[in-house]
Amino acid sequence: MQCVLATMLQFDPNQSSPSWPADNATIWRNMAEALHQSLDRVLLLLIAILPGILAFLVALAVFTLIGMALSALLRRILAAAKLDERIARGRGSSEWAPSTSPTALIARVSFWGSILLGLIIGVSAFDASYATATTLPSSLMPYLTRVVGVAVLLIAGTLIARFLERSVLIGAVNEQLQYARFLSLGIKWLVLVLTAAMVLEHLQIGGNIVGLAFGILFGGIVLTLALAVGLGSRDLVSRSLESHAEHSSESSAAPPATCPDDSIRHF
Amino acid sequence: MATADPIPGVPTPSAHPGNGLLVLLAAMTPKQLESVFAKLTVSFPAEELLIATPEAISEALPAGAHPSFRIVPTPANNFAWTLTVADFVNAYQLAEKHKARAILMLGPESGSLGSSALRRLANAVLAATDLAVPSYDLTPHAGLVNSGLLYPLTRALFASSVRFPLAVDLGLSLRMAKRMENAAQHFTAVNQGETPIWPVNEATVAGFTIDQFNVGPSVQPTAPELNTIFPLVIGPLFSDITAKAAYWQRFRPLPPARDAMLMPPTPGTDTAADIAPMLSAFRLAYTNLHEIWSLVLPPHSLLMLKRLSSTDAAAFRLSDSLWARIVYDFLLAYRLRTINRGHLLGALIPLYLAWVASHFNIIASGSDPEGHIEAVAAAYETEKTYMVSRWRWPDRFNP
Repeated sequence: MQCVLATMLQFDPNQSSPSWPADNATIWRNMAEALHQSLDRVLLLLIAILPGILAFLVALAVFTLIGMALSALLRRILAAAKLDERIARGRGSSEWAPSTSPTALIARVSFWGSILLGLIIGVSAFDASYATATTLPSSLMPYLTRVVGVAVLLIAGTLIARFLERSVLIGAVNEQLQYARFLSLGIKWLVLVLTAAMVLEHLQIGGNIVGLAFGILFGGIVLTLALAVGLGSRDLVSRSLESHAEHSSESSAAPPATCPDDSIRHF
Repeated sequence: MATADPIPGVPTPSAHPGNGLLVLLAAMTPKQLESVFAKLTVSFPAEELLIATPEAISEALPAGAHPSFRIVPTPANNFAWTLTVADFVNAYQLAEKHKARAILMLGPESGSLGSSALRRLANAVLAATDLAVPSYDLTPHAGLVNSGLLYPLTRALFASSVRFPLAVDLGLSLRMAKRMENAAQHFTAVNQGETPIWPVNEATVAGFTIDQFNVGPSVQPTAPELNTIFPLVIGPLFSDITAKAAYWQRFRPLPPARDAMLMPPTPGTDTAADIAPMLSAFRLAYTNLHEIWSLVLPPHSLLMLKRLSSTDAAAFRLSDSLWARIVYDFLLAYRLRTINRGHLLGALIPLYLAWVASHFNIIASGSDPEGHIEAVAAAYETEKTYMVSRWRWPDRFNP
């Protein structure tokens, strides 16, 4: 063991033993110096990016306060102008009208818009101050700045996938298609795959592989759906065409308003 | 919006109509128009009538064919199976322009109404009534959306006994027409001119007088399929109910149930309806739409639907109270926008088909169709407390 240590520390065993403490002290001093230098470098780096972090936090805090003030101000102004009542009178039965009151919606949009603006400005400030810190890896920042766009893409993609899935499912069930669930899941995964490809493209991950994989996967899903629907509903389509042809010939022979009494008329 | 310029060869309708009545006709074929004109001639002999018809029809009329009628053109409307916002706007503007005292709005099949029907509707609104509505004698297989949804909902929430709240033939006093025009303005402002609006609800909220007249058997205009009817009719009805929540949440004495003995006999049919396609639609929907229904319906209703989905066709019965609760839950989800409103109404269609299948089973077992519809209306009235509780506390009250 002693030999090993001696080799490691380039220690001569023929030398007298009193030199041990002095050499130990040198080693520890060197180690401490190295550690101090590392710590200094970390602290220097932290100091270099601290203004950026501080700028980010200040921008976020300031814009949050601005958003809160703006939101409160808008609420008061719109409530005084009775915007909700005016819109409720003129809205009718629009399917896409918001569920909350317009005043609350505008106030919320202004608040979250301010926060988003604060985030963008904060990230820009961080980016500007970070550029001066030359020792940091330069590949991290682009991802940070694209995260906002990716989040929007993911949320929009998920919402659209769910909406289309439900639309297709309900429409197919009301048309009495037995493969309604399969069809709706196919549509949902098509949109999700498209979203995932867009997200990866936006983050510049994968390069051409993503596009290629997406094309293969998308084409595969479409082909599967087409085969399933085409083969599974051959009889249904022929029956539908036959009944359509019969209905056309009947409707040309008789006026549409005079239905027989025993037919079901929902309205 | 509506302009009524005189057409060549037709007497200029500048003076007041003879009896103060304006007759507004829906879009119809020449054959239907001849039938309506014949009925008007019989109903109003020796009276000069001011008749408003869509432009395309009035231009095709031979000049001088009906000397007692003064015809003015109105903008064409694509919807002939129900009265829309545009119809009510046209009606009031024409009535005001020609200083009419009352309006008779007639659908494309109004020529098939009983001989005295038009006269009775017109006399009512020319006298003291604000809204005169017909009650048609339909076969048990017709007017099912009306029987299962429109009538019982209107009856329970607006305390109105009008059997056909969305009748295509109507009589309106001038103040009722003005009220409808005001209600219609909100829709025209957002370019929803083809939306139906609800004269019975408006008249009830305004405290106007409503009279209902039995007009006998009638041919109803051809309506589109269910997938179109629900968004076009049930959606606006739910919106109207939502807008008038302050009115119907207050307790009001309900109209007495119609006496089965006094009801006109329902025209019978020789053939029983085939309920198999409706049941198969319901079962398919139960398998696939369970997830969506569970967002709208409470667990108890879902459990009942689960049992129904495995019931034989002959024993298939959707209880009246369960149906009423389902409709109320969908109405609440429509208000809260639990899911997209188009999806919500689409998800209601298979449940409605289940109700229709159950209704057919009940009348096939010997029950009177009108008697069962009255029982459904009574269930809606009983379950109104459930509806009001969920409306006020949707999160807290969910049995």
